[in-house]
Amino acid sequence: MEIPSIHLRHLWQRFQQTLETEAAEQFLSLLLNIMRLMFAIDHDYRENIRKFDGRYQFNSKDGKMTVGAIFSDGRLEVEERVIDNPHITVSFRDGRTLFNFLLAPKQDILGSMLRQDVQTDGNLNYLYRFGFLAKQLQLMMTPG
Amino acid sequence: MITLEDIRLSEYTLEHLPRLEELRRLSFVRKPEICIERARCITKYLKYRDDPTDSPELRQAKKVHHFLRRKAARFHDCNLLAGTTTSKALGAPLFPEFFALSLWPELETVSTREKNPQALSAEDARELNQLIFPFWMDRSVLEVARTRFDNPKCLKLFESLVFFIAGKAGCISHCVPTYTPMLEKGLVGLIDEATAREAEASQAGGGVNSRQVQFYRAIKIALQGIIEYAGHLADEAAYQARIIDDPELKKEFADMAEVCRQVPAHPARSFREAVNAIWICQIGMHAENINMAMSPGRLDQVLYPYFRRDMDTGRLDIAGAMELIGCLWLKISDNVIMVPEASEEMFGGAGTVPAITLGGVDSQGEDAVNDLTYLMLRVTELLKIRDPNVNARYHYEKNSDDYRRRVAEVIINTRAVPAFFNDVANIKALCGQGETLAHARDYAVIGCVELASSGRDYPASSSIMLNLSAAMEMALYGGRRPITGETQIGPATAPAAQITSFEQFWEAFKQQLDWLIDQAVQTNEILGAVHQEMMPSPLLSAFFEGPMQNGRDLIQGGALYNSSGATHIGFADTVDSLSAIESAVFARQKVSFTELVQAMENDFSGADGEKLRLYLKNQTPKYGTEDPIARKNARNLVGHLFRTYQSRTNYRGGKYRPAYWTMTNHAGLGGISGAMPNGRKSGGLFASGITPVSGAAPELTACLNAVAELGGEQVPGCWALNIKYTPEDDVAAMSQRFAQTIEAYFRAGGQQVQFNIMDYAMLKDAKKHPENYPELMVRVSGYSAYFKDLNDLMKDELITRTQYGLTDGRAVPFNDD
Repeated sequence: MEIPSIHLRHLWQRFQQTLETEAAEQFLSLLLNIMRLMFAIDHDYRENIRKFDGRYQFNSKDGKMTVGAIFSDGRLEVEERVIDNPHITVSFRDGRTLFNFLLAPKQDILGSMLRQDVQTDGNLNYLYRFGFLAKQLQLMMTPG
Repeated sequence: MITLEDIRLSEYTLEHLPRLEELRRLSFVRKPEICIERARCITKYLKYRDDPTDSPELRQAKKVHHFLRRKAARFHDCNLLAGTTTSKALGAPLFPEFFALSLWPELETVSTREKNPQALSAEDARELNQLIFPFWMDRSVLEVARTRFDNPKCLKLFESLVFFIAGKAGCISHCVPTYTPMLEKGLVGLIDEATAREAEASQAGGGVNSRQVQFYRAIKIALQGIIEYAGHLADEAAYQARIIDDPELKKEFADMAEVCRQVPAHPARSFREAVNAIWICQIGMHAENINMAMSPGRLDQVLYPYFRRDMDTGRLDIAGAMELIGCLWLKISDNVIMVPEASEEMFGGAGTVPAITLGGVDSQGEDAVNDLTYLMLRVTELLKIRDPNVNARYHYEKNSDDYRRRVAEVIINTRAVPAFFNDVANIKALCGQGETLAHARDYAVIGCVELASSGRDYPASSSIMLNLSAAMEMALYGGRRPITGETQIGPATAPAAQITSFEQFWEAFKQQLDWLIDQAVQTNEILGAVHQEMMPSPLLSAFFEGPMQNGRDLIQGGALYNSSGATHIGFADTVDSLSAIESAVFARQKVSFTELVQAMENDFSGADGEKLRLYLKNQTPKYGTEDPIARKNARNLVGHLFRTYQSRTNYRGGKYRPAYWTMTNHAGLGGISGAMPNGRKSGGLFASGITPVSGAAPELTACLNAVAELGGEQVPGCWALNIKYTPEDDVAAMSQRFAQTIEAYFRAGGQQVQFNIMDYAMLKDAKKHPENYPELMVRVSGYSAYFKDLNDLMKDELITRTQYGLTDGRAVPFNDD
């Protein structure tokens, strides 16, 4: 599909740049913001979270990042704070390790967990669902 | 009694069995596909039809019945047996109660992923994403356990994966059902029995809705599901017979229709009906229980009366029997486990490991090897396929030399199967668990290597997989591990710098180990309690002695014998580390404990570090040799684990049984573990099963003796010992030496051994050029896999395993060029 707007395309370019540089800690915020926009403008993508309420807490172990992602019936809110009652909390060493965990072409989910690069606390099924949403976004943004 | 003129059955080759040749070819070219049939069906049932006021057993039975009566009747190829585990020719069924949701991130990519892709249609992926997976988000066993028990620490330890793995999901199926009552009475006969017992229970004061009464009702409903599925198979086969022009195919379908009209509903009247009945019931079991190691057991014993009768009446000949056995072997391998990419490190390349057990002695202690044993060995030798996992029992006082030699020959010719099991040691081990002698003699192998009295013992043998190296690190660092940083995990024992004797360290190690075992046991108990509510097995219960008699499901302790299995990863490395500390730090004072730990923290870097590492690796006592320190530490560790587990009682009232098999966990966990006192560098692979560390045991005889002396009562869960032999041109001479080595090892007490008949160079080449070895089968740690399917870590582990020459009994030096 066509990337639907200039603003989104610009965000996606920035997102890709963060992965090629050492600024990987920006990866999560950019990913969530692109996701949020995509839910707003793409009906099919929004269908994935219709009737879905999910609360995610992401924390980097160095304390530089604390991001809450709240899905609520077709919408996504992103908040840079500790949220109440998350279904799952994901703690990660840094943005790079989170990227490897979620989106790298050669994903290393188990390796990330075994090495304790990424630790989870809570309902893993919510993480699996988030993984699907992230992966689908990536496939939409990089067709072919 | 053996009536075969040639136990090798040399004249029967795949050329003479074209059906098996074709089915085997298909088994190698077929690509696995994810099948959502079961997930779709049970999700719809639970959404719209489930009655929460029913007992757990009744709810489960209705769910299973609902699926089986709707399960599609498929015929994918020329196999003579009707029935398929999934709707696909080679299917990975989904069990959303357990791990299926781990596939969610991969819905778009699982079909095209680089390693072991599993095809999933876009339509099915959409259904999983929108309808099926969302329903299960808060309903999987693990999530129900977390919620109910308030996210306890033990569950978090389990989820970190580096301390222990709780295999509760799989261990529902880690068992050996008995098919004999079904073959003799038919499922209708079993249903009649349940009806009679239901009436008794109701009149005995329980009332029409008591738990017992509901259990009997559940058995009937679940078994009726199998009967209905067989009926659909008969209808579809009859339809195919009507529309097909080819007279041969027409007859085959007509015969299948007739078979399915008879069995498993009614008693089997022929070998063919008995074989197909067993297969259809196995399908039924997988409608209820996950496809992990559900093991058919001693089929050469169960099927023998039908074989003998048909052979004696001329209704069956050797080729016909072999064809049916081959068809069953290939049907058993018609399904794989859904493995998310994330799990490839741990379980990549594994099949579903349904174990078949041949030979040994009967319940009176007499030689049980029969003609069918040799037919099944021959079929195994010809097919050379990963599943089923074929195992040969051998009793050195009762079974013949011819049998022992023949098994050795099959191993040499397949390079990997069957594995060899020692009846004397294993029967003793089961008797030590309170099983009667007759029941222990009727043991069969489950999955990789575990032992169970057929249809009497519900051993949940994969309940715990404990990482021994974690306890070692926790003892060195006062309850912490480098991989989990500063977090205090276990009890705060004295760190290495403050320890002044080996005895003190051994106590600290045991303290950490016992604490970890407590956590693992607690996890298993929590999951067990949830399973009792969510995942009882009324259908499977009908295939065991006990549940029908006492009105209790297997998961409620209905079997005659109840236990839980705990296996261990990193045994040899841990023993060698204990010995290195005892020897280098305390006995010889070659290095202080503080210096040793510092060197390990630096991964033995620098000239001094490397010098120390080489000393630890080459100059300290090694398990697998005759060194008294190494032998003592191995015995002490096995003894301590046995006593510790046996002092714990599980939720079904049985004991925990220690075992030593590792699947591929020794590679996955080794890859993330720090350096160890035995000179193993950080990230190095652990040795598999109970096998000595690669390169540590240069003499074959000493190696086998060192392992063998650990066997018997203290290892009731059995072990996997991997031995690699250099292939020889003279197979007859090699078989003879091979068989003699087995004899000596078993007489010394060895419980089990499995082989790879291949050398370093061949395996290196297979890694480099997988296209040249599409069918190369290897023994991993209890199960077989195709070498090409394994991840690189596992390939390296197999390459570097010590290779022995049978001629001189010495290790072949490994050159890492």
